[in-house]
Amino acid sequence: MRNREINNFLILTTLLVITLSLSSSSITHAAVHTNNWAVLVCTSRFWFNYRHMANTLSLYRTVKRLGIPDERIILMLADDMACNARNKYPAQVFNNENHRLNLYGDNVEVDYRGYEVTVENFLRVLTGRHENAVPRSKRLLSDEGSHILLYMTGHGGDEFLKFQDSEELQSHDLADAVKQMKEKRRFKELLIMVDTCQAATLFSQLQSPGVLAIGSSMKGENSYSHHLDSDVGVSVVDRFTFYTLAFFERLNMYDNASLSSLFSSFNPNLLMSTAYYRTDLYQEQVEKVPVTNFFGSVMKTIHTDSAYRGTSGKDSSRVKYDVISGQSDDVDARRMTSSDPEKQGDHPDIKLVKGGGCPHADWWNAIVEKFQGIKNGDMIVNYGLVGMLTLVAVSTWQSS
Amino acid sequence: MEESSGKTTKKHPWFWSSAVASIVLRLVLIVYFPNTLNFSSRPEVSTPITSLRRLAEGYWLKQSSMSPYAGSMYHGSPLLLSILGPLTGDRGEGQSHLLCGLAFVIADFITAILIRAIGQLLQVADIQSLKSLGASKFSKTSENFPAGDIAALVYLWNPLTIITCLGYSTSPIENLMIVLSLYGACRRLVPLAAFGLVMASHLSLYPVILIIPLVLLIGSGLDTPPRKLFLQPNHGDGYKKTNFSWRRVVLFFLWASVWALYVLVLCSISLKEYSGLGEMFKRTYGFILSVEDLSPNIGVLWYFFAEVFDFFRDFFLIVFHINILFMVLPLAIRLHHRPCFLAFVYIAISSILKSYPSVGDSALYLGLLGLFVNALADMQFSFFLFSGYLGTLLLSPVMHNLWIWRGTGNANFYFATAMAYACFQIILVVESVSSMLNHDRALKKGATPVAKKIQ
Repeated sequence: MRNREINNFLILTTLLVITLSLSSSSITHAAVHTNNWAVLVCTSRFWFNYRHMANTLSLYRTVKRLGIPDERIILMLADDMACNARNKYPAQVFNNENHRLNLYGDNVEVDYRGYEVTVENFLRVLTGRHENAVPRSKRLLSDEGSHILLYMTGHGGDEFLKFQDSEELQSHDLADAVKQMKEKRRFKELLIMVDTCQAATLFSQLQSPGVLAIGSSMKGENSYSHHLDSDVGVSVVDRFTFYTLAFFERLNMYDNASLSSLFSSFNPNLLMSTAYYRTDLYQEQVEKVPVTNFFGSVMKTIHTDSAYRGTSGKDSSRVKYDVISGQSDDVDARRMTSSDPEKQGDHPDIKLVKGGGCPHADWWNAIVEKFQGIKNGDMIVNYGLVGMLTLVAVSTWQSS
Repeated sequence: MEESSGKTTKKHPWFWSSAVASIVLRLVLIVYFPNTLNFSSRPEVSTPITSLRRLAEGYWLKQSSMSPYAGSMYHGSPLLLSILGPLTGDRGEGQSHLLCGLAFVIADFITAILIRAIGQLLQVADIQSLKSLGASKFSKTSENFPAGDIAALVYLWNPLTIITCLGYSTSPIENLMIVLSLYGACRRLVPLAAFGLVMASHLSLYPVILIIPLVLLIGSGLDTPPRKLFLQPNHGDGYKKTNFSWRRVVLFFLWASVWALYVLVLCSISLKEYSGLGEMFKRTYGFILSVEDLSPNIGVLWYFFAEVFDFFRDFFLIVFHINILFMVLPLAIRLHHRPCFLAFVYIAISSILKSYPSVGDSALYLGLLGLFVNALADMQFSFFLFSGYLGTLLLSPVMHNLWIWRGTGNANFYFATAMAYACFQIILVVESVSSMLNHDRALKKGATPVAKKIQ
């Protein structure tokens, strides 16, 4: 007898533990991809580093074109090339010698400029630990549903990135900042793109899950500029960024080109370096993730036919959702399945009693199901009111 | 009996004609002057609980499959939505809620009829007890003045009731339920009394204190002079000692719980798709008790709670609501032999001190005041009170206009008239209670032994 009780108890506890672990594992993927952020950093100053500015501004233009608004872009430019005294084309920045695109149009919002671009400010932006007086436009206000694109360009080396020619950001600093971000749940997924010499070493220390990183060159390799603009007088774009932009110029907001197609578009011969990417920390499959998950901001519009249910909290599970056609099968947007509210059997106020144990459970269940199956409550209420009045009349007549 | 009733109808045929005239007046004002008399926009008439505009909004929200309490407009009962909602149709060009107005007129009329019936019952009981006491001169006055007719006509012709009826507020229905419960208790119709009480406290919370006078009415009967007058040695035999019938009281509570359960089941069916009874209680009773809406009305709570610190808000809510509650027991002890009058005093106190009073509540107790004209004939300050009521009720819209529309006054102007109105109401209650007690004392003095009179 006692052995059987102990056996039952053990079976119950194991079942409980299993259900708890399943439920807890399902809790970890609770965040839904809700917004996209971009942090674009150019770390070098002086006129001969024009191409780094052009790199960053080209990415800025691309990211804005594909949908991320200025509120969610942190643009850090270490120097001002557009209004530099040596710029033959004032207020214009080009990334190609054909001067087709002016990257510095009238719609550029630079958040950190000049000497504000420091390692300290960069780390503060990533971790969100600012002084009280820092305005919101200079903060990375991401949450646990954000996808963040972090693009850094400048001069770098083995495990470091040079800021402003006076200080450096080391790879373990970056890894530490990303770890803090992960702990504070400041991102859901992070794509780090680095265009410097020996870029892949910068993210070698990363350990946080949900991070994807691509660098323009591996350890021991340099990243080269693409071409020299003889009119402006300096090199205007780097190779890695040039081919990245070549990839993106073919896209618009609604294309679902995958990240793997981006990564495989880099030809080492053309880049004159090996573009190395790191997917070991990233749970999703890069073939299935569209580039607009990081570079654009296509929000899934969920169209629902049912009326807005304002006040009660239990209605989110009841509403029918339809995803608009044409979108790629999104891995992280949760498709909410639901049942028709009229057929919904899960009324949280009244719980169905488990039949079998209690003899009254069966008719109680029948009553509850009938109660929940009432389609038109108003008719019932009207009949109920009429019934109440007749009952009053009858009982009054009876007792008089 | 027949002769006396024939006498009353012969002597007072004017009752029915006056009643019908008041109904005709209301109908004329509703149908022909729908837009000139904007009583529904006056804060004295429509409060957040009784406003018909809010009920129409709640009904529309319900029709759009949203909870009727969404947006904090409607704070009433869902059953009222089912009854009055379909009547608040489209407001066409210049067409106000005509059908609702008709419903309120009918409610007023039924209330007046019921007040008359209560008055007749009270009169009969009064004459009987006075005769058994031997206080003949009092009984003669009681015969001459039909308290029921007077009270019903006071209720119908009171400008406050007419204004409430035209102002599209749901107070007439609440008043009907209160008077229905009183009538049921006076007639010892226990289910009817329980129904009236449950519905009245379902619509607005405060009539729940009427449970005490209703229990006293059902248990020991109508208003009588104090028991000790009957126990005086010279006339103990004419008086039948009626004991307190506990059986009826238990039956009353049983019926009250039946009606309460029925109402709650109907409400939960009505709000099944939204969030159920919890939200209903939070938005109706919670709204009444926590005084969430601080828009000005003719009461005294809004001004105070607009300036109280949050830290003390709960404390002062408790103080204000206990202010009504702690008067319940002493009055019950002092006036337990007159339950109808006790009900009148309770209604008066709750309409002074409730969270969102309006002139509809005053209309009810002014009508019920008419039931006791015989006893309260010697009330002091009656003219002072009458002019006070008139003055404050005329000045209140003026001060509101000065404050809101012209901007030459401020909230203190309006609150001053509200305070003065509350003061006059309190004086009325105090004076009526003291004159009723004086009447009892006068009975004690004027009671002559039965044995010496030859009838």
